[in-house]
Amino acid sequence: MSGTILNPFTITYPTAVQTSLISLSLFAKFDPSGRFVASGRNDGSAGIWDLDTRAAVRSLDGHVKGVTSVDWSRNSRYVLTSSKDWDVIIWDLASDFVPLQRRTTIRFDAPVASASFHPRNCQVVLVLLATGDAYLVDLRKEQRGRYELCEAEESDDESQMSRPRSFMTVARFDPTGKYIFIGTSSGTLLVFNTRAKTMVARHKISGAGSMKGLEFAKGGRRLVTNSSDRTLRQFNVPVYPPPNPERDYIEQELEPTHRFNDPINKTAWHAMSYSPDGEWLAGGAADPATHKIYIWDISNDGQFASTLDGGREPLTHVHWHPHKSMIASTTNQGNILIWHCPTPERWGAFAGGFEEIDENVEYEEREDEFDIEDESELARRKMKEEEEEVDVIDGLDPKPTIDNVRVVINENDEDIRWAMEEPDDDIGGWRLKVVMEEEPEMI
Amino acid sequence: MDPGQPLSVPLDGHETARDAVMQDEVPPESHRDAPPAPPGPPPQPPISFAERKPGYTCKFIISGHTMAISSIKFSPDGTMLASSAADKLVKIWDAYNGEIIRTFEGHTEGISDVCWSSDSGLLASASDDKTIRLWSLDSDTPISVLHGHTNFVFCVNFNPRSNLLVSGGFDETVRVWDVARGKCMKILPAHSDPVTAVSFNHDGTLIVSCAMDGLIRIWDADSGQCLKTLVDDDNPICSHVRFSPNSKFVLVSTQDSTIRLWNCQTSRCVKTYTGHTNRTYCLFACFGVTSGKHIISGSEDAKIYIWDLNTREVLQVLEGHKDVVLAVAAHPLRNIIASASMEKDLTIRLWFDEDEAGSSD
Repeated sequence: MSGTILNPFTITYPTAVQTSLISLSLFAKFDPSGRFVASGRNDGSAGIWDLDTRAAVRSLDGHVKGVTSVDWSRNSRYVLTSSKDWDVIIWDLASDFVPLQRRTTIRFDAPVASASFHPRNCQVVLVLLATGDAYLVDLRKEQRGRYELCEAEESDDESQMSRPRSFMTVARFDPTGKYIFIGTSSGTLLVFNTRAKTMVARHKISGAGSMKGLEFAKGGRRLVTNSSDRTLRQFNVPVYPPPNPERDYIEQELEPTHRFNDPINKTAWHAMSYSPDGEWLAGGAADPATHKIYIWDISNDGQFASTLDGGREPLTHVHWHPHKSMIASTTNQGNILIWHCPTPERWGAFAGGFEEIDENVEYEEREDEFDIEDESELARRKMKEEEEEVDVIDGLDPKPTIDNVRVVINENDEDIRWAMEEPDDDIGGWRLKVVMEEEPEMI
Repeated sequence: MDPGQPLSVPLDGHETARDAVMQDEVPPESHRDAPPAPPGPPPQPPISFAERKPGYTCKFIISGHTMAISSIKFSPDGTMLASSAADKLVKIWDAYNGEIIRTFEGHTEGISDVCWSSDSGLLASASDDKTIRLWSLDSDTPISVLHGHTNFVFCVNFNPRSNLLVSGGFDETVRVWDVARGKCMKILPAHSDPVTAVSFNHDGTLIVSCAMDGLIRIWDADSGQCLKTLVDDDNPICSHVRFSPNSKFVLVSTQDSTIRLWNCQTSRCVKTYTGHTNRTYCLFACFGVTSGKHIISGSEDAKIYIWDLNTREVLQVLEGHKDVVLAVAAHPLRNIIASASMEKDLTIRLWFDEDEAGSSD
């Protein structure tokens, strides 16, 4: 709403640290509404921070070992945490119980590396274990089950023998939820159909080495990978045919549209994140002595735009706000830095009817500017003007959206219909109850 | 009251800032020097009969407060009515039958304003004891006392998520508070005179404030920066301001007996409502949207005025109170208006418009 009075909605990259949240966390992730930040700690607890008050509003205590990932459901009601203690826990923030109780626990027989919600139904969860295996867990009554996602074996037996088994190192849903993208230790990207749980494509990424990270631009047409060769690669996401009973899959090498690296220091990357409109890419450098975020301008052929210097505490994670010029970066000391774009104070706003101009303007007097008009005439004109109908209820400005970030969904698509079966109760409009902090100094 | 009495000393006979006559703030002549209102009766716009005229009648007269009532608010769920008064009490009433539900005691001076959180579970009250107190319906004592204002607190409101509170007062500042921690987050040096009203817009991104300096300012809630200032040529003292439900307009009551609707985007006044009397006190005005689109305001002639939002004609005048009607409130769901009056009356009245199908129990 303030955007309509502020400048027109444009996204640039943030430039300065606004706040530092002392959280002892390993990483921090904005929720899809942009009101909260979820963070995970090495002691097994996770926290929810309110960006309005910049205070911790919930503690999620359930894991007994380090939290490895957090994910938000699309309306921010549910939080998914994964941990080295072999558990994946779903939390319901709409619950009034304080401290918050877990809603569901999914147990595995190995440390969990990451877990994420299906973008359309948070009863479907993608889990990656530290052993290099990925599972799709379906919690719905009709579909209930735990399905391992297995790489299709190559028909050529000999090559199978000669090649070591590759581990799965990163697993993500694409923004539509139709596909699961899995990066492997041998530098391939495997694509699975979520509904059929079968592999539909294998992409060799030449020269990449082991895959370390995978992020999609919001629209889902582009993705960026991080790999052990210290290069971020951006790809256009190919179109995949529907799964077929023969379990055929596409074997295709993907050629990146852009490569991003640090040519001088050759630093590796801890994490990367697209801006909401996909026009910028932020890369968090794995530099042991500094806290640096590199920004590339995707719309300008991927040119390097800027480095954000966050001081001496090395960076561990970076995440871009879902609709603002705001970044959360986490330091190895567990502080979450919230970066923003400072706007200069407009002093002209303090006076009515003033407009600030950048340069002197030759003022042209209107022909009738100093004409003296009959007061009753003025009053009558004013009354006439006031007869125009106004609407004080409707016409709320829709949330600013940018065309190329919208996830295009065909509701009749079989995969989408499958995902929408037994819809979850992650509905908008839920409210996080304000919990009063105990006040020892109350008089 | 002695007209020359400074405001910082206890107000003799009146116990809250809202009930006090601010004569030293405005010489009564100041408005007469200003260009007069359109000569003669303003030309009446054509009356539209498309909408049914409201037919509010007084159904409940509630007494309980022992000094002037400063503010009344319906809870967002529509079940309760909160009132605050110069007798240092906040009272909660059943919105449908006027029965007392509970009384909150704690403030050491009179109270000027009270507001509800969005879930109808919390109340905040602003007092001349320079504090804001937060009350939960589950507890008798305040769950939090917000210290910070250096003079009377005059107005208070929650944001839609109710994790923030905004307040304004005689220290001429607007303050934003963290509700959960009871801490002041921002102090906006907002005005050069007492702040008389302040509130958030529908999504909590904007704050509007107005003051006795006659300025209406719109602020960015996140950064605390002033985004624009709305000012009328004559600069009359502002009594009250609030956003329209869609936040495109602000409704401003001024002490030249006028209520104006401003377009925030263009900074133009698009509607003017007159007929009531408002020259001394900070009267509330509100939108009535449950049947038709109305503007509702109290008046210093002890009446309540209901205007048609678009035609600006007075649709109904509610009579019954015996003193200035400081506070009015419109029920969020049904055709109910609540009004409250000062010393010579001390009642809250609930007015029902029962012609509307389904509005009577």
